[in-house]
Amino acid sequence: MDRIIEIKNLKKEYKMGKVTVPALNGVDIEIYEGEFLAIMGPSGSGKSTLMHIIGCLDTASSGIYFFNNEEVSKIKKRKLAVIRNEQVGFVFQTFNLLPHLNIQKNVELPLTYAGYSKKKRVALARKVLAEVGLSDRLKHKPSELSGGQRQRVAIARALVNSPSVILADEPTGNLDTASGSDILTIFSDLNYKGNTIIIVTHDPAVAKRANRVINIVDGLIQNGDIS
Amino acid sequence: MAISLKESIIVGLSDFWSRKIRSLVTIVGIVLGTMSIIVVLSLVKGINKKTLEWMMERGGLSKISVYRNWNYEKQADVKNYFTLKEINLIRSLVPEAKYFNPQIREWVNYSYGENTSRGSIYGVIPDFKKIEEWDVEAGRFISGFDIKQNSDVIAIGTKVKEELFGNKKAVGQFITAGKRRVQIIGVMQHRFMDNSGNIGNDNALAYLNRRTFVPLSTMIHKGTGEDRISSFTVKAKDAESAPELRQKLEAIILNLRFGEPVFTIESAQEEAEKMAENAKKFRIIFFLISAISLLVGGIVIMNIMLASIQERTREIGIRLTVGARRIDIFVQFLVQTILVTTIGGILGIVSGLSILDIVSKYLNIKLIAGFSMMIIAITVSAGIGFIFGISPAIKASKLDPVVALRHE
Repeated sequence: MDRIIEIKNLKKEYKMGKVTVPALNGVDIEIYEGEFLAIMGPSGSGKSTLMHIIGCLDTASSGIYFFNNEEVSKIKKRKLAVIRNEQVGFVFQTFNLLPHLNIQKNVELPLTYAGYSKKKRVALARKVLAEVGLSDRLKHKPSELSGGQRQRVAIARALVNSPSVILADEPTGNLDTASGSDILTIFSDLNYKGNTIIIVTHDPAVAKRANRVINIVDGLIQNGDIS
Repeated sequence: MAISLKESIIVGLSDFWSRKIRSLVTIVGIVLGTMSIIVVLSLVKGINKKTLEWMMERGGLSKISVYRNWNYEKQADVKNYFTLKEINLIRSLVPEAKYFNPQIREWVNYSYGENTSRGSIYGVIPDFKKIEEWDVEAGRFISGFDIKQNSDVIAIGTKVKEELFGNKKAVGQFITAGKRRVQIIGVMQHRFMDNSGNIGNDNALAYLNRRTFVPLSTMIHKGTGEDRISSFTVKAKDAESAPELRQKLEAIILNLRFGEPVFTIESAQEEAEKMAENAKKFRIIFFLISAISLLVGGIVIMNIMLASIQERTREIGIRLTVGARRIDIFVQFLVQTILVTTIGGILGIVSGLSILDIVSKYLNIKLIAGFSMMIIAITVSAGIGFIFGISPAIKASKLDPVVALRHE
């Protein structure tokens, strides 16, 4: 298996006025292609910060981060947008769909920034929406869908540009048990098909679906066993 | 990787559409601003056209008029009229003038049987009809022969004809003009020009129809009995050479009057040029006034865009997350602002054009819209969008994706 992510002694501090608050205190992780990894920890443990840095939404204060053998800390911000667009698919607890666009347009969004033609965008968006079982809802607005359906739209959007890794931040946090279970099944299926998936969660039931669980407490990794 | 301009426009349009009420409120200022640009420019254009028409009706742009300067306070030893000898001298000094008509004017009463009328009687020569481009509709005009013979003949305007003869034939009849009996040799063409823009008569040229014309020589020798020619008109070869001829005439006349500005020498061409110059100033002033409302509209839009970015912070976060670069966000918001103001501009043009008729009726001036003013209006409104869109667009593009995503 190829190594997608390699993180060494990664630190992140936030400045709040004169006080510096550490969020990550020297994290080391290696993540391999095809993994289904859960990052677990209580709130405030730094797991979301870690996810943001892995997804190139944020940058570390210090340490080394290789993404697909490229050192992210040395990449310009403009290029980070390209990585987010082409290599990373995000799924959030609050779905983060654009309310005024229909779901097909929502799914097309990453392709728009990737410069795809309209025809290709529509074809790809419909294909992934079919994969998550929403072919009959293409023109619906997010507000017309249930929570579980919205999260499936978000997954479709994360998948549409064939990223190297899918990052999910508490993807079931806003869903009832049945819908949450459905979503996790989708992630399992995607992983089975070869997608690399990283889920950030505080819920042990969610973590159970993963192949490997990392616990993070106070900005430090506690263990890294492969289950 | 980039979001194309077309995409930005589509995103901007769908955004405009999904927030219809706000979008419309946003652009009210721009709509009113462009509307006033259209109305004001059409008004200026309308007035210009009207004045030019007036000049063309009065003998065209190659006409030069010399008449008494009413602002000049008479010095005892300076004549405020020309003698025939002087007129002949002046004529011989401007051989390049195509036509030359000295004239004397009197105010007289006319009578024919029981019927009476009154108006200005002019002593003229045949050149008159060439200069004024005004011929008879019946009979004939004053001829060279009439001048030589000091004939007791008269050509009358349609109003005089109507008052004295009604529908009956006038040519060949004898009337009394002042104290003299004269024979009608012609009835002048009826003159008419739509008088929109002025109070009173519907016909801006009605006064011309009250005029009558007799040979200049008859007027001098049998009428006033005085060799006093109050004014003359000249026609230059063409409009372009008229200003030069005017200057020459001015020099000659000043020379004859020892440098005293006893006469006004006016070239229609130069008046038209002056008028165009004034119209230009008017346009600029009115345009600036309209621009102020556009400026206010622009500031309103900037504020609303800034508020809208506040509201759309999460959206920006989402867009950054899925791969939008900062330049994409910048372009999106800038294009959107330009789009909003341009739509405002288009609505302003449409509403401006649609109220032209109303304004036209209210002011009683025909307003004339032109394609160029629409281009100006669109350009200005888009320009306002560009100027006032930059700051919100920069603000939007500088948002931190993580912070933006957390925004509620």
